[in-house]
Amino acid sequence: MAKFGMLIDASRCTGCGACQIACQMQHQLPPHLQFNRLEFRERGKYPNVRQEIVPVQCMHCDNPPCLHVCPTHATYKRSDGLVLVDHRKCIGCKYCMTACPYDVRTLNDDRVPEKCKFCADTVVQGEEPPCASTCMCGVRTFGDLDDPNSEISKKMAKVDVYQLITEKGTKPRIYYVKK
Amino acid sequence: MNKFNRRTFLKATAAASAVAAVPVYLNFSEHKKVASEAPLKKVWTQCNGCSSMCTKAVYSKNNRLWKVEGHPLHLKAGGRLCARGHGVAIDVYNPSRVDQPYKRVGDSFEPISWEQANAEIGEKLTNIVDQHSGDSVLWVEHGPRGKFYADIFLDLIGSPNYCTHYSTCFTSKTNVWPKMVGSSLAADHENADYLLFAGRNFAGGIIPNGMSKIHKALERGAKLVVVDPKYNEMAKLADEWIPIRPGTDLAFFLGIAHTLISENLYDYRFIGRHVHGFYEFWEANKTADADWAAEVTGIPAETIRRIAREMAAKAPKAILEPGWHGLHAHYANSTQTAQMNVIVNALLGNFYKIGGLYPAQNVPFGSVDRKIPRFKRRGDRADGAGVAGKYPTVEPGRGIAQLTPKLIEDGTIKAVFIYHYNPLRTAPNPEEQKKIKNAELVVVIPTDWNETAVYTADYVLPEHYYLERTEAPRNVNGHVAHIYPQIAIRQTALEPIHNTRHLKDIIDGIATSMGYEGYFDFTLDEEVEAALTTIEDVSRERLYEEGVIEFTSHFVEGIPSEHNTSTGKVNFSVPEYAEHGFSGFPTWVPPATWPKAENEFRLIHGKQPWHSHSVTSNNPYLLEMTKKYNGEWMWMNAIRAEKLGIKNGDVVTIHSSVSTKQAKVKVTELLHPDCVWVANSYGNYSPRQKNGYGIGVNFNDFLEVMVEPMAGGTNCQEIIVSITKGVS
Repeated sequence: MAKFGMLIDASRCTGCGACQIACQMQHQLPPHLQFNRLEFRERGKYPNVRQEIVPVQCMHCDNPPCLHVCPTHATYKRSDGLVLVDHRKCIGCKYCMTACPYDVRTLNDDRVPEKCKFCADTVVQGEEPPCASTCMCGVRTFGDLDDPNSEISKKMAKVDVYQLITEKGTKPRIYYVKK
Repeated sequence: MNKFNRRTFLKATAAASAVAAVPVYLNFSEHKKVASEAPLKKVWTQCNGCSSMCTKAVYSKNNRLWKVEGHPLHLKAGGRLCARGHGVAIDVYNPSRVDQPYKRVGDSFEPISWEQANAEIGEKLTNIVDQHSGDSVLWVEHGPRGKFYADIFLDLIGSPNYCTHYSTCFTSKTNVWPKMVGSSLAADHENADYLLFAGRNFAGGIIPNGMSKIHKALERGAKLVVVDPKYNEMAKLADEWIPIRPGTDLAFFLGIAHTLISENLYDYRFIGRHVHGFYEFWEANKTADADWAAEVTGIPAETIRRIAREMAAKAPKAILEPGWHGLHAHYANSTQTAQMNVIVNALLGNFYKIGGLYPAQNVPFGSVDRKIPRFKRRGDRADGAGVAGKYPTVEPGRGIAQLTPKLIEDGTIKAVFIYHYNPLRTAPNPEEQKKIKNAELVVVIPTDWNETAVYTADYVLPEHYYLERTEAPRNVNGHVAHIYPQIAIRQTALEPIHNTRHLKDIIDGIATSMGYEGYFDFTLDEEVEAALTTIEDVSRERLYEEGVIEFTSHFVEGIPSEHNTSTGKVNFSVPEYAEHGFSGFPTWVPPATWPKAENEFRLIHGKQPWHSHSVTSNNPYLLEMTKKYNGEWMWMNAIRAEKLGIKNGDVVTIHSSVSTKQAKVKVTELLHPDCVWVANSYGNYSPRQKNGYGIGVNFNDFLEVMVEPMAGGTNCQEIIVSITKGVS
């Protein structure tokens, strides 16, 4: 079984936001509901200054804090490791939102804390998630971390990577290229 | 104006239109239901989010849009789409769309039938033409998408006044390149080794495949230098960001040229064989060296010299990107700045070279058989473009759009047709532009209730949304060099959901009611078919099926022995300018204005990656991004802000000679201290566009109506504002 993951090269990102709206169209989300975001930071003083942009979304942690706190098991881990939400079981307590160190849960109109699904329905058919496929800068690479011939595995072999907030022991499935 | 809320809007629609019930205002759960119960349809069409017109797949179910994706082959898309490419698709369901024809009654609008609209407009226009001649009629549009039909209409009436928005946009570039080179050349970014970007930002004014090509060049080890007062989105990828004093790019390029020439680093074979006016240019600019340029621009002389030397070392695979507007345009020195773009590239010898610049590749199209209007004598253009004694060097095919209200005020123009263009938001000084209303007849042909429709129209005749219409095929070229020609087509991806019409039928309706029958007796399919008669093995069906077709004939390197200019050479000195009392070659011209006092700034503007001028300013999805990232805030350099006691998020009052308005400030290290910066997308003041209404300010709010005399530009970066903390 595939072990889906994502490699993000934040240094390539120019902050256009196509990833956000492509995701919204794919999942038919209303405007205020977004599954990914960009974090902008300025480093230095004019004129010796640069900007950093970090794309952030659900990390599909192997040890997901949001899952552990869910009292009704609405948040669950699919057999291939994707972290998903069963809307029927959700009681809207929002513990998951508090527990997530990445702040990537967002309340939908039915009061369910939604999030990035890693396009669970379509990636199994070999399709790339739209946040990756629409990106003109090639920021995201999605694929099977267990397949040594996948694009993501080949890229991961060539670069140093880091992950966000690893000290919480979340074991995220999203890796970032270290520059 | 009467309050016009959605309830009255819907009621009016229901009362007046016979359109079948369509799921226009589905909420999302309803939408999901519709979308889940039908087969998936995929249609290739061309985006309308900007002029790049990326081909994209439109996925729909039950005539309900699901999503869009970039076409992998299309030169501009390269399989990718920017945020606005997604956003404008969703706007097909925007409640601010005009759902049927309307007529102004007092300060409000009443729904009327197409038949009534055609009859009334036809009668009024006939009277105006009878009384004042066809010369008193103006057609103004974004350009040139309506030109084929508008030209037939203007021929029937006998008017010379076809005008585009170009004077508010890229007129410096499009005026200079044909006169100096014979045509515009595009940069081969992917194969270049040195990319100097000044006044061009592929990550803000996005061409998705352009960005992909920049990344490929960088992966190959190419050097990217970005010169811009603002740390633009591309600066993040650049080896160097050089914040230049706004308005002084001309001096920077003169300094580069001086270094290339004085240090013998230029391509003297190309200059000797193919250039006219090199010595005139050099004699006039001998003192404009890097030290002088450093004084003017604030860029160290050694940096200017180093960049020139580095580029010469990489030539001919070194490019000064030709820009969209003609580099940092819309200053008093914009024509000269655009001229320097040609000169610097020519000195580097990169013309007609892989990894340098080369021309757009085209295939010729056929034209549909049609009835040709009888000849009618016409006078000079009302705006004076190309007219001796007025603006003789401005291209008459493009016109001077910002003059429209003045032409109405002085009585030259009596009837105006405004198609796919919103001058009340995108032309200088909105209060001045509102005077367009004073014409005897104003017909606005939009898709939504933009400012121009709301404040000036006597009649509003809605066009099909771009996803709902087919248009004749086009060549895909420009801005990104490609050796193979491509053609693409816009075709109906969704059936029209409102009582709207194709532009051809809108014009035909008016022309027919004036007694001009049979001039538009062809179908869109026939137009497409006719266009393709010149191309072997490409049927209409194949083009619809594939969306984009690429051909094998292609560009090969080699400088043409003769250029399509007045001298047959590349003109460093332009005879057409000299004939009319201008300098034929560029020399230093300072900007018309400078900020002086401690609280004065130059107000500059640019594109934000997720908005496209005013077109997207009411898009609920793209405005969420604005909200998330404070996109409507005005940027100010941190040191200047501190001196004025302004903190991030503070409200300030901005005052210019034209108006006084308030905005929030983003205090940043990413901007030159001389200027403040705003995105060009905000300041929506159409009360019928409830998402965007009242968000942010627009540079045009503060801009006087001006005409740059050589190319007709608006000088829209020549705005000095004084800024005070708080509301005053």
